[in-house]
Amino acid sequence: MPTDRRVNRRQYLSTLGAGGAIALAGCSGGGSDGGESSAESGDEGGSAEEESASAEAESTTAPETVTIGSDIPYAPFEYRNEAGELVGFDVDIAEAVFAGELGLEYEFQETAFDGIIASLNNANFRIIMSAMTINETRAEEVDFSDPYFTAYQTVLVLDNGEITERADLRGVDVGVQRGTTGEAAAEDLQAEFDGELGIESYDQITGAFDALLNNQVSAVINDNTVSAAFAAENDGVVFLEGDGVAADRENAPDYLTLTIEEYGIAFRQDDDAFREEVNGALAAIREDGTYDEIYGEYFEG
Amino acid sequence: MATHTDSETQSGGVLMRDRLVRRVGEFAAGGFVLAIGGLLVWILTTQVNGRLLASPLIAGRFFEAFLLVVRIVVISSVLSVTAGVFVGLGRISTSPITGRIATGYIEFFRGTPLLFQLFVIYFGVPRLWATGEFPFQDWAVPAAIIGLTLNHAAYVGEAIRGGIDAVPDGQMEAARSLGMSRVMALRTVVMPQAWRNALAAIGNDQIILVKDTSLLTVIAVPEIMSVFRNINSNQLDPWTPLVWVCVLYLAITMSMSQVVDGLERRSDWGSDGGMFGRLSRFSPGSTDDGGES
Repeated sequence: MPTDRRVNRRQYLSTLGAGGAIALAGCSGGGSDGGESSAESGDEGGSAEEESASAEAESTTAPETVTIGSDIPYAPFEYRNEAGELVGFDVDIAEAVFAGELGLEYEFQETAFDGIIASLNNANFRIIMSAMTINETRAEEVDFSDPYFTAYQTVLVLDNGEITERADLRGVDVGVQRGTTGEAAAEDLQAEFDGELGIESYDQITGAFDALLNNQVSAVINDNTVSAAFAAENDGVVFLEGDGVAADRENAPDYLTLTIEEYGIAFRQDDDAFREEVNGALAAIREDGTYDEIYGEYFEG
Repeated sequence: MATHTDSETQSGGVLMRDRLVRRVGEFAAGGFVLAIGGLLVWILTTQVNGRLLASPLIAGRFFEAFLLVVRIVVISSVLSVTAGVFVGLGRISTSPITGRIATGYIEFFRGTPLLFQLFVIYFGVPRLWATGEFPFQDWAVPAAIIGLTLNHAAYVGEAIRGGIDAVPDGQMEAARSLGMSRVMALRTVVMPQAWRNALAAIGNDQIILVKDTSLLTVIAVPEIMSVFRNINSNQLDPWTPLVWVCVLYLAITMSMSQVVDGLERRSDWGSDGGMFGRLSRFSPGSTDDGGES
């Protein structure tokens, strides 16, 4: 998949001193940023991927390319703008973490979400950044970074007064994206309604959104942020109201929430050293305000 | 065998030795079967989770998907062959309007991917209505049947046209000379033979139709591949549900091959199997030659 590092010409990059990373694809060596990573980068370059697993000391600081598996489009986390450039929250976080903090090149690789973990373990890419919720089943197969985002499963409905509360969902069809925690939340709801809930699984979340507009499903269960971006674009679509599991939480949405979830970056289980580095970088961008800047760009105002 | 050796020394080298070539072929085929068989046994013993494979929950989900696919296949099959006959007749029509429209139809439906056609019907068509106003609530299966029918009618139409073209012109000429109208001659003389000619191609296409149902997973039809993907993404175990997928598709396509074989045997009255067959096979040709020379 074509990558696009050059899209993220954002102020924060220059504050990190990683200007080289955005100038040209291929030019961002480890030298452009100071700090912990360049100190170790004297080792031989090349196939650092294998080395990192075996030799922790050498780590992964050679200017290699980190391939990131991601299910695109999933706005606002990863999607293409009108010019076809890859943008989104995950994309900017990747820019800040890999190019900014770690001095690595990276590229996004498009893949289907429902087989994404198997693809990671088959070494089709090195990590997953795809608005992926940390849960136990997945954690048996992969290791997650520290959470970098909190999301809530929410319900989108048409603003025609047919479904106004949680109980109205009994007996209707809901659309979800296959393999997502939205699908899992729908299955829980189905069990709660004694099976009286139809679940239609789409390849991409846009399919489920289309189905809502096309009268194929009565509701879509999905992560709040992604759904909010869609609702903002479509007048006839609203969040289902009600007190959900996150009602007592600070900063929680004021509409119905089915579950609370944390997103993480997924790594193969033999990639601990790299995972630690990324955790460090995540902490660093939270501390220096980069994270808040990116967050603000996509989710506030 | 002396003759073989003789001919080998004259020309052709090793390829002239029939028995040797035959042995090599047998050896290669046997080796292939052993390798694949061994791999399969190894996969089945190491990769497939027997408990999951036999789980009634999973069997039930696959069976439900299987029944749905069979329903979709039967309906689309009947509709596409019926429609295909008309497309094929349109193709050979002497009217420029009908002929061009049929040609355009075939060009479009053969020239664009089925996936695209399914997207047009499932995502595109409902958007012609206002948000939430589209009148059909469960559009996925009807959209699937419409898409498969339109697409495969084009292929069947081409097969029918080929079948008609393969009938010697003398058949039509003889029928016309007996005073039949063109339509009547087509219906009673040409079409039965054309059908026989086209049957293998149509059967082939209908088997492809079965496999095309696997695309329906992207328009949220809960068919066999869709069940596989759900189970795989929950259990993170590809091989166990893959066994189910393989068995179920083969169950449909192999029984369809049987049906096509049966139909071919039934309509194979033109082969050199019997007296009547021999007559009908050779007489048109000789009449034709006689008439023209």
